[in-house]
Amino acid sequence: MDRKELEAKVIELVTISYKKNPGEVTLDTSFKKDLGGASVQMVALVSEIENELDAMVALQDAAACETVKDLVDAVENEL
Amino acid sequence: MSVLDPIYEKAKSDLQKVAFPEAANEKMMQAAYEAGKEGYIIPILVGNTAELKALAAERNYDESVFQFVDINDEEYTAKLVAAYIAKPDTTLKEKGLRRRMANPLFYALVMEAVDEADVTFAGIDNTTGDVIAAGMMMVGMAPGISTISSIGLCDIPGFTGGENGLLAIGDSAVCTNPDAEQLADIAISACDTVRGLLGWEPRCAMVCYSTLGSGQGELIDKVVNALHIAQEKRPDLAIDGEFQFDAAVKPEVAAKKVKRESKVAGKANVVIWPDLNVGNIGVKLIQTFGKADAYGPMLQGFNKIVCDCSRGAPVSEIKGNIIISAVRAASLKK
Repeated sequence: MDRKELEAKVIELVTISYKKNPGEVTLDTSFKKDLGGASVQMVALVSEIENELDAMVALQDAAACETVKDLVDAVENEL
Repeated sequence: MSVLDPIYEKAKSDLQKVAFPEAANEKMMQAAYEAGKEGYIIPILVGNTAELKALAAERNYDESVFQFVDINDEEYTAKLVAAYIAKPDTTLKEKGLRRRMANPLFYALVMEAVDEADVTFAGIDNTTGDVIAAGMMMVGMAPGISTISSIGLCDIPGFTGGENGLLAIGDSAVCTNPDAEQLADIAISACDTVRGLLGWEPRCAMVCYSTLGSGQGELIDKVVNALHIAQEKRPDLAIDGEFQFDAAVKPEVAAKKVKRESKVAGKANVVIWPDLNVGNIGVKLIQTFGKADAYGPMLQGFNKIVCDCSRGAPVSEIKGNIIISAVRAASLKK
C-alpha cells in the first residue's frame, strides 16, 4: 500500500469511527477542534486500524495525534 | 476504627476475583498474597505460570492462595478469544486481539471483559496512561460516560461535615483540563463510585471561585455548563453548584451564600474540582494542613473496575486499594 492509498484508507476509517459524512474528513482535520476528540471514538478508530490495516497503534499514540495526517504517520510507522 | 474497616468487611462477605498482570513484581505479589491469604479476594496471577510459581516459592508464599493463568495456555486463550469476539460491543477482530493478549495487562482485561475476573489491578510496571488506554480498549466505558477520571477519599481529622468526616474529591489525578462534558462525567462517575463503594447517598458539589453567580468568567462558565449537563444526564443524582469550596462543605457559609433550596450546599460529601491544577493542589492542601489521610486515586468511568496503583505505594496501600477495588466490583453486580 503506498502513501496515497494509506491516507485514503485512514481518512475512511476516521470518517466511519467519528460518524462523519464522506468528504468531511481530510488530512488536515484536527481531532480536537473538528472531531470533538471523544476518547470512545478514538478507541473504535484504533481497533478499526488494527482490523483493516493490521497495524497496532497504541491508543495513547493515536490520542496524541493532532491531525489525521499525524495519525497516518503513526500508522505508517507500524506497517 | 479505620475508615477502611467497613470496606474490608464487605470484601470478605462477597469475594471477588482480582487479576494481577504484574504479579512478578515483588510488592504486587505480596499485596495480592496478603489480600488473598486474609480472605478479602481471590487473587489470579496472570503471566508466565512457571515463572510466577517459582517466584512465589522463592518468596515463601503458599501457592494455594493464588490461582494462576498462563498467557501461553492456548486452550484457555482460545476460550477467552471466542467469548470476547462474541460480545456485541467488541471492535477488535481475532488477530488484533491475540496480538494484544501477548501483553499480560491486555490478557487480564480480556478475562475481566468476559467475566473470568472481576477486577484488573495494575500500575507498577505499566504507567497510568497504559492502564487507562488498555482498560478503555478492552473493557470499555460505563454507559453514558466518555471520560476516565478518578476520585480520592479523604479522612480529615476534626472535619465533621461530608459523610461523617469523610470527603470524596475528584479528579485530583487523571483528567488534566476537562471540558464541560468531561467535568459532568467526572461528577456522575464520582457519585456512582461513592454509592457503590461506601453506600453513600451522594451530595455532589461542583466547585470553583464563584457561588451562584457571585463571580463571572469563562472558568466559571465551564463549571456551570458542566453542572447543567450532569443534571440533565442524571436527574436522579443530587449534583449542585456552582459553589465555592466553603459554601459546599460548611453549613454556616452555605446559609449566607446559598439563598435557595439545595440538597448539597454546606453538606457536600463529594466535591468536584474544575481541573487538575485545583485537584492536585487541593488534595495536597488537605493532606498538608488538614493532616488528612487520602485514599486512592480510584479510577472511574470504565464499564468494569480497572485499578491503577501508584508505583511508589507501599504494600499496605496497594493492598488497601486492591480491597477497595474488589468491593467496587461487587457493587457493580448488584
